[in-house]
Amino acid sequence: MEDFIHSESVDSDLQLKVTISREKLVENVNHVIKAVSSRTTIPILTGIKFVASKEGIELTGSDSDVSIQSFIPLEENGIENATVDIPGQIVLQARFFSDIVKKLPGDQVDLEVDSRLMTRITSGSSEFNLNGQDAEEYPHLPSIREENSFNIRTDVLKHVIKQTVFAVSTSETRPVLTGVNWNIQNGKLSCVSTDSHRLAMRTISIETEDNLEKSNVIIPGKSLSDLAKILDDSGSDWVQIIITDNQILFKSNHLQFYSRLLEGNYPNTQGLIPQESKTEVILSTKSFLQAIDRASLLAREERNNVVKLKTLNDNTIEILSQSTEIGRVFENVSTKSIEGEEIRISFSAKYMMDALSKIDATEIKINFTGAMRPFLIRPVDEQDILMLILPVRTN
Amino acid sequence: MNWRDVQSKQHKVAKILTNALKNGRLVHAYLFIGDRGTGKKEVAYQFARSYFCPHSDGIEPCGQCSECKRILSGNHPDLMVLKPDGRTIKKEQVANLIKEFTYRGVESDKKFFIIEQADLLTPQAANSLLKFIEEPQSQTVAVLLAENRYQLLETIISRCQLIQFTPLSQSDVESHLTNQGISKNIARLASALTQDVQEAKALCEEEWFANAIASVIHFMEDIYIRSNHAIITLYEEFSLQFNDTVKLQTGLDLIIIWMRDLLNLHLDKLDEIVYIDQMEKLKQQLLNVSIDSVVLGLSLVLEAKRRLDFNSHPLGVMEQLALRLQEGAGSYV
Repeated sequence: MEDFIHSESVDSDLQLKVTISREKLVENVNHVIKAVSSRTTIPILTGIKFVASKEGIELTGSDSDVSIQSFIPLEENGIENATVDIPGQIVLQARFFSDIVKKLPGDQVDLEVDSRLMTRITSGSSEFNLNGQDAEEYPHLPSIREENSFNIRTDVLKHVIKQTVFAVSTSETRPVLTGVNWNIQNGKLSCVSTDSHRLAMRTISIETEDNLEKSNVIIPGKSLSDLAKILDDSGSDWVQIIITDNQILFKSNHLQFYSRLLEGNYPNTQGLIPQESKTEVILSTKSFLQAIDRASLLAREERNNVVKLKTLNDNTIEILSQSTEIGRVFENVSTKSIEGEEIRISFSAKYMMDALSKIDATEIKINFTGAMRPFLIRPVDEQDILMLILPVRTN
Repeated sequence: MNWRDVQSKQHKVAKILTNALKNGRLVHAYLFIGDRGTGKKEVAYQFARSYFCPHSDGIEPCGQCSECKRILSGNHPDLMVLKPDGRTIKKEQVANLIKEFTYRGVESDKKFFIIEQADLLTPQAANSLLKFIEEPQSQTVAVLLAENRYQLLETIISRCQLIQFTPLSQSDVESHLTNQGISKNIARLASALTQDVQEAKALCEEEWFANAIASVIHFMEDIYIRSNHAIITLYEEFSLQFNDTVKLQTGLDLIIIWMRDLLNLHLDKLDEIVYIDQMEKLKQQLLNVSIDSVVLGLSLVLEAKRRLDFNSHPLGVMEQLALRLQEGAGSYV
């Protein structure tokens, strides 16, 4: 049997031949396999695309919603990662390829593909023959024009994602709301998400060449959560972002993350944000968050997890919550200042905690415009982050 | 496959679709209605290729480019195909499709959806689909394939352009089979059983089919000529040959064709006879059986088929049929 296999591989009809450091290969296969889903309807997407060129080796994994591409340069910091004898491309079954390379015995892996797409993987004394698939069948990722790109620091991007993704809708009834809406104007990137009960908005300054303007770029929330996880591994300080018609690309060092965009028009959220304010409360983020957290201990037993807030005279607010079956909780929280009309308002404790935990500032400012109107939470002297919550109607 | 092939088989369909492509006037949802084997699926894929192929002259896809190839191999990311999972297309499957509707295309802003056997959509699944075939967001074409339009929701039908596929004629199927070297009498029977060329061909190539025909001929002879043998043949030969419900249904269809031949012989319509190699036996039986008793016999066989559909015990159904047929044939008198 062994002789039979060996006699099959004739050097002359090889379509691809590379030698690659196993450690590098394992590391990069691990990156791209995160995008591969076993529940895909497109057969070729169960595979990883492997492309060897004169510059290096590029791996791609995709579930058609997100695609991850990873590049292994032939040489990096004077260390040789790979040698390409015959450039070429092949698609290999992701699960098997990843398991195989992890367990291969040697430090180097040789990979050869013949004209029938039979792929021979050898390392040390071990040899695998895998049936490959035609790389032409693999989805084409959008070609990239660098001129429409901009850069964001990796930690800032991760922060922006964390501060917006939590508020996307989980219901499919309005699909655009399952995404975060990105707009770029006048060198500022604004990211908005809402599930129609609350809204999160974050604005940052970005450096763009020639006044880049983009609007209605709706990125699925799930893609952004995936991206945030990937960014940890990239080890780069900056992320380059390129927006094409159908996809958005995040490029970081040797990793590229593509996500499809959502179809449709994002609702105009600017009109939702109240411009006037009747009551303004300034208080410590931490003590307020802790008070809400305590109140929600009882509130979460009830269906909507509702807590009530009431302004008192001596610069304090009262937080209360009650459950008919379990009991009630009161707490007075002292504030820095309360200006304007008195207010009694009810809201979801979960939404409030979600919002407060995303704000880093030590002091926040809450603006109310009535018990039935949405209210705003912002850091005291920053305008670049804004949380909006709709109150709950109670008796 | 190209549009000329389609035209030769489904003239009207080819004309409607190629005209729509030529004028760039595609509607967002089509409903292809037609029997099995009329080529609905092939036409849907052909249509998808014309839609995506960048090298097409507006109508005919090139068949060489990666778009065309990937559509046929099922690897095109912007073509989504939905097939029944088991006996129905369930709501979760449609949810997946709807998710695709809400994302932008992977490679282009065009999207194409094919829903095979759309008459198997559960009502919930069909309802959740309504909104999306009504208001597609971008350049989207959905093609629903169905055999039976009456099993579809009215609300689905009213949102689609209906494309009716004409059934293949029996002689088309027959000549197709004989061209492939299948003997004339078997080809004639197979084409009388099904309009689906593939299915007919598969039948002809099965050894079982030839034996089944022989058994049916033997059985009919016993019913109408040697009546006291009929029950024995039923136990010893017929029931072993047709040992499951699907096979038995085919057997009953073969009996129906035999009876139809008897009728045609009575009426002197010799060119419509299917069992052409059994003329002698048919003529012999003709002497024993009147037109009325053949008509009665036909209704008895149809009744038996219905009972099988309702999961009656196959052998019981056949026993009853054999006895009743003999009564009808008047051979006891």
